[in-house]
Amino acid sequence: MSDIGNARLKFYCDEHRCISCDGCSVACAEAHELPANINRRKVVTMNEGIFGLEYSLSIACMHCTDAPCEQVCPTDCFYIREDGIVLHDKDKCIGCAYCLYACPFGAPQFPQDGAFSIKGVMDKCTMCAGGPEETNSDKERELYGQNRIAEGKVPVCAAMCSTKALLVGDSAEISDIYRERVLSIGHGAKTQPYGWSTAYGSKI
Amino acid sequence: MANTWGYGAMTNSLGDIQNAKAIIIFGANPAVNHPVGFQHFLKAKERNNAKIIVIDPVFTKTAAKADHYCQVRPGTDIPFMYGMLHLIFKNGWHDEKFISDRVYGMEDVMEEAKKWNPKKVEDVTGVPADQLIQVTTLYARSTPGTLIWAMGLTQHSNGSSNTRLAPILQLALGNMGVEGGGTNILRGHDNVQGATDMACLSDTLPGYYGLSDGAWQYFASSWGVDYEWLSGRFKSKEWMGKKGFTLARWWAGVLDGKDGNDQIHNAGTNLKNLFVMGNGITSIAQQAKVKEGLDNLDMIVLCDPFVNEAAILTDKQDDVFILPAATQFETSGSVTATNRSVQWRNKVVEPMYESKTDHDIMFELAKRLGFYDEYTAGMKIKENKQDYTWPEDATDEIARIIKTIGLTGWTAKRIKSHNENWHMFDQISGRGYGKMKGEYYGLPWPAWTETHGGSPLLYNINRSVAEGGMGFRNRFGLEHDGQDLLAGAGSAPKGSVQKDGYPEITAVNIEEVLGIKLTADEKKRIGKNWKVDTSNIIAEKCMEQGIAPYGNAKARAKVWTFPDQIPMHREPLHSPRSDLAKEYPSFDDKENHFRVDTKYISKQTEQDWSKDFPINLVTGRLVNMNGAGMENRASKYLAALTPEMFCSINPDLAGKYGIRDGSMMWIHSPEGTKIKVKAKYSHSVPEDRIFMPFHFAGHFQGEDLSHKYPKGTKPYAIGESANTVTNYGYDIVTQIPETKGGLCRIEFA
Amino acid sequence: MLANTYERLKTQIGRRSFMKMAAVATAAGATNAFANDGVTRAATQEEVKNPFPGSTSVKTICTACSVGCGIIAEVQNGVWVRQEVAQDHPISLGGHCCKGADMIDMVRSEVRLKHPMVKEAGKWKRLSWDDALDRIATKLKASHETAGPDSAMFLGSAKMSTEQAYYFRKFAAMYGTNNIDHQARI
Repeated sequence: MSDIGNARLKFYCDEHRCISCDGCSVACAEAHELPANINRRKVVTMNEGIFGLEYSLSIACMHCTDAPCEQVCPTDCFYIREDGIVLHDKDKCIGCAYCLYACPFGAPQFPQDGAFSIKGVMDKCTMCAGGPEETNSDKERELYGQNRIAEGKVPVCAAMCSTKALLVGDSAEISDIYRERVLSIGHGAKTQPYGWSTAYGSKI
Repeated sequence: MANTWGYGAMTNSLGDIQNAKAIIIFGANPAVNHPVGFQHFLKAKERNNAKIIVIDPVFTKTAAKADHYCQVRPGTDIPFMYGMLHLIFKNGWHDEKFISDRVYGMEDVMEEAKKWNPKKVEDVTGVPADQLIQVTTLYARSTPGTLIWAMGLTQHSNGSSNTRLAPILQLALGNMGVEGGGTNILRGHDNVQGATDMACLSDTLPGYYGLSDGAWQYFASSWGVDYEWLSGRFKSKEWMGKKGFTLARWWAGVLDGKDGNDQIHNAGTNLKNLFVMGNGITSIAQQAKVKEGLDNLDMIVLCDPFVNEAAILTDKQDDVFILPAATQFETSGSVTATNRSVQWRNKVVEPMYESKTDHDIMFELAKRLGFYDEYTAGMKIKENKQDYTWPEDATDEIARIIKTIGLTGWTAKRIKSHNENWHMFDQISGRGYGKMKGEYYGLPWPAWTETHGGSPLLYNINRSVAEGGMGFRNRFGLEHDGQDLLAGAGSAPKGSVQKDGYPEITAVNIEEVLGIKLTADEKKRIGKNWKVDTSNIIAEKCMEQGIAPYGNAKARAKVWTFPDQIPMHREPLHSPRSDLAKEYPSFDDKENHFRVDTKYISKQTEQDWSKDFPINLVTGRLVNMNGAGMENRASKYLAALTPEMFCSINPDLAGKYGIRDGSMMWIHSPEGTKIKVKAKYSHSVPEDRIFMPFHFAGHFQGEDLSHKYPKGTKPYAIGESANTVTNYGYDIVTQIPETKGGLCRIEFA
Repeated sequence: MLANTYERLKTQIGRRSFMKMAAVATAAGATNAFANDGVTRAATQEEVKNPFPGSTSVKTICTACSVGCGIIAEVQNGVWVRQEVAQDHPISLGGHCCKGADMIDMVRSEVRLKHPMVKEAGKWKRLSWDDALDRIATKLKASHETAGPDSAMFLGSAKMSTEQAYYFRKFAAMYGTNNIDHQARI
């Protein structure tokens, strides 16, 4: 296992498993008490209704390593944590939406209520890591939502994913999970390690 | 289904689907309706290379994950399944030994199947012959295969035939009683199985005991009340034994046959008072009739956590009561999942505002109606208590009485221990670890005794009865037409003293079948048969000898008490193919069907419906809602996902009527009703049909009823109810409405 | 798999992130050092583990569909404050669809019914439970005597607990009618 300092926290959505049930997006909205129609996370379905071509993916802020939003922000409100989570300071943000121009995923959201209301100026996925305010303070929860990472909990969207399509965590860990999924193909519904029966037959 | 092999329930479990090599899904959309359950389908596909075959009139989210998708015309599942059986029998893919040992009446099915060659099936169902051959070959050769269905099979005038032919398909392939096989019906609401087991039904007492005099006597004594008192509550003993009105057609009971409505037979009165508890009656067929029924009642009582939109639909001006009921998070109790397993639902918070729990409301009314003491007596019997504790004593009362489906093992204490230890169970087999060893998660019924670990897989003869094994139930006598109905030689569950078939166990035959001698004391205490043996001696002795108390019989492909002894194709009452409606006509009209005369053939032949109503109408669910949707539309996040009622329509069909994506359209039904909804272009429906969700209410035939909501109760989203335009038509046995195969006409609005 | 991630997140990120106040700006291109230093009070153990001090967790079951997913409800001072993840539930493994993920709103939705109401002369009026139940019982009793028990229809629910469903059936039986049904018939 790699040290946490060496791998970044990432999301991954397995399109073979995503059934666009919106469990992730509603879990997110509910956990952080977002205003309706602020979509920190959104499920997108492509080619709807066409056999063999329809697929769905759940999209949020991808917490880029070289985050374009952070590059273009005129007030320098973004900061990137040691573990790779991209966060921003709503007290500095002016809501100009330049980050929306820069973002390849449409992640930044702008609540209608204005700068001083429920979720502030620009709002986006925090990977459930809150913001720069005091951890688990009322102000942090008001502006950024829950800080589950501080509690040692998995971000709520992936934790509640109905089919475990959406994965989150240390990127090395995610590729381990996905690799295991790929290698398990065709080996039956067993919870045992894969490959042993193939290699040694029924002797073990 | 119960008429095929004894119990009408999911035979395996969601986790067990991971063991399947092939999954065939008829008229069900688990990716939308049971998303978390669908992860087990996806894992079967991933780890087991299981092929998923979806048969559905609409391309669903489930179909998007399928390997094969067959777009059938609504109401033609029987021809499709016969087409499969045709190929299976022709190619000898059926399991001969299984059929001869464990199935009765398959010969008639074989005869009928001969008629359904792939070309003919193509003509009737619209599924290409090649595709039928392809999926049948795949399914028949990939065993074990599991068969899934839901409302897409049941909501037809011949739905009860659909749900018999699906099990027959599985029986033919020997896919029953094995891991990864089975017929897995996916139930809708969280406790459909539990509420059905407890008989919130007009045709039986709890536990499917029926309404016979003997059943009433058993319940009277088990409830601790005098039988004569109980029968005195009814109009007469005769009416005690008669099936009542159903959810589908209670409104006919109000309308009393006036103005051309169907005639009723209801003890000389029409319905005057309606008492509804947690039932979204705005999602039942024929809303215009529902409204008429509501308008003509003396009193309507609606108990729900949210406003029941029946209160909004009706124009009744007086005596409409809305009582705030607590949610299930504000009370405790048990809930039965789709796979017959029970879970304890703990109370999270006290009832909010002034709301009261459902049982408190019933208790308060019982006090005022003067039968509270009789009502609650059953809870005090077990330990001869002065007073009762809700819900534990009610749970134990049920466990004490309901033998038919083996609820003896469902004591409150055991169910709670499963909740506390839910981390101690395997996700695929449900087996317990550590201190839960020997038990399956949720003690799937039958759990015959207070120590039985549950039966995760019905009709599995490869396990002993004590470990959840069993044959088919002996429910229909010992023989019919000279043929033995008991199971064949060697097909008894593992570890049984009887190696062959045997009848259900009674006080008379117990010594003979089990090969034991009862003591004098046991003889004194034992009940008449396993269903009413409150001493539980029969079940205990059966476990020791490896015998299933309900016997070991053959499943029957032929049900001689039904209008169609073997399932036959009959076109929907409103068929787009009038030529086929002549070839496969519906049933004769049925008098006094759950107290109301019901039209079949006369409706079908009233006119050529397809002329004026050329488009098939299919309704279904959305992932963010269930039922009438009132609780979901009361959540702003769920409402935001689909803020408006819509109709999915193929762009090519829409183009013919000048309907644009996002514009409004009218949908007219043969009953003369109409709704106005937003058109949503979609390729999920072909050009001859439209699809609508049935979760909306609050608009009626184009009118916005917002002003009728009490202040502060209007949900975040309202819209037309699709059921305003669903057609007349009810199942011949169960009276489930035919909402999955009607006709309509559309126009630009 | 996910459990591993969970363990790692718990043991490593959990503690580490609490020191993020000092460690936000790294070589990865973040130029904006964290500016607000006035807030680096040491957190109590309780806060690290639980932002709702003194809360309890209740294991219960989702009320949406018949899959029967597990739910963990965090309750503080009698209020359901947060819906947690039942990662160890054998059927759902912590998963929820959108309905299940929002079960908390079943309880706290603002449009819930708050008190009994009756429609009189076309207007909704508030009334007390006692009044409501008395009036309903009086009508039910009167119809039982004049028109007979079969003048009532009872529609129960697949949303009730098994015990409540059983008592609903018993209620209809003791009222004296088989006019009772629920959603299995749709």
